[in-house]
Amino acid sequence: MSEIRDKPAQPPSLLSALRKSSLSFLSLLPLLAGVIGLVGIFQVFADPEAMTSFFRGNPVLDTLIGTLAGAVAAGNAVVSYIIGGELLAQGVSLYAVCAFILSWVSLGVVHIPAEIGVFDPRFTLIRNILAFVFVIFVSAATVFTVGMFS
Amino acid sequence: MNKKGFTFKGGYFFLAVLLLYAGLFVLDAGTACMAAQKAAKIFLRILPILVGVVFLTAVINYFLRPAQIAGHLGRKSGIKGWLWALVGGLLSHGPMYAWYPLLNDLRTQGTRDGLLAAFFASRAVKLPLLPVMIDYFGWIFTLVLSVYILIGAVIQGRLLEMFMPATTASRDYRG
Repeated sequence: MSEIRDKPAQPPSLLSALRKSSLSFLSLLPLLAGVIGLVGIFQVFADPEAMTSFFRGNPVLDTLIGTLAGAVAAGNAVVSYIIGGELLAQGVSLYAVCAFILSWVSLGVVHIPAEIGVFDPRFTLIRNILAFVFVIFVSAATVFTVGMFS
Repeated sequence: MNKKGFTFKGGYFFLAVLLLYAGLFVLDAGTACMAAQKAAKIFLRILPILVGVVFLTAVINYFLRPAQIAGHLGRKSGIKGWLWALVGGLLSHGPMYAWYPLLNDLRTQGTRDGLLAAFFASRAVKLPLLPVMIDYFGWIFTLVLSVYILIGAVIQGRLLEMFMPATTASRDYRG
């Protein structure tokens, strides 16, 4: 008996590890399906072209607007570069454009319900608040640093 | 997770999204169908990533015991843990939510929350899209932004840990 007790735990076979990870994935499937469904709705209603009309010409306000617009948007990051290029051509500040493209890939309002479900509300809240603040800080620092080179 | 303890997460959320689609369908069937088509396209596009994540989770679980995972990514992982998080974030493709199953699994096995936050933040550097970004905004902008994103990712991780209590799993495997 003592030999059995002292025997170290056997590592799982690859098949059992695969079964475990499949079950783990399956348990999150309703959350993932819900997020994908929401992204579909957002992509229909959050028209990227319409977002360009939100900017007002005030660098500080536009940076905040850029961060919020990027957080609401959903889709491939390339789209944010294209819109960002258009915004720069229209005279929107680089601070705002940088915040917009960074927010697009860092923040996702549409992902929040799933993130809460997978992790927990406190983790999700703190992570997203920090990400929001850092989008603004990183954008400001980037444009300031780039300005020193040009 | 064993089979006995298997439960679906987010059933009510999924139901709410279904109801949203149903409501949208009643108001504007065309828009609802367009949204459903977009969602189906997204699903098909990220399907290979989801399958890859399931395999990656299995491979990690096969080669590493929870205590080893905690050693690499837990409370005492040190600089190595931060590097793993940043490199993982840089190399991970697809939408953020596709990585939730793997991250959830790692978290239950002792991965510290700060590293998860750093992983999420460093994903903002899109390696395959860097040439496009350089084309639009120039290489100085792209380089400076990428460096600041990575620095910011570590700071975010550290700050998050100041505001978060250690997870049960990370407490269990600490040491």
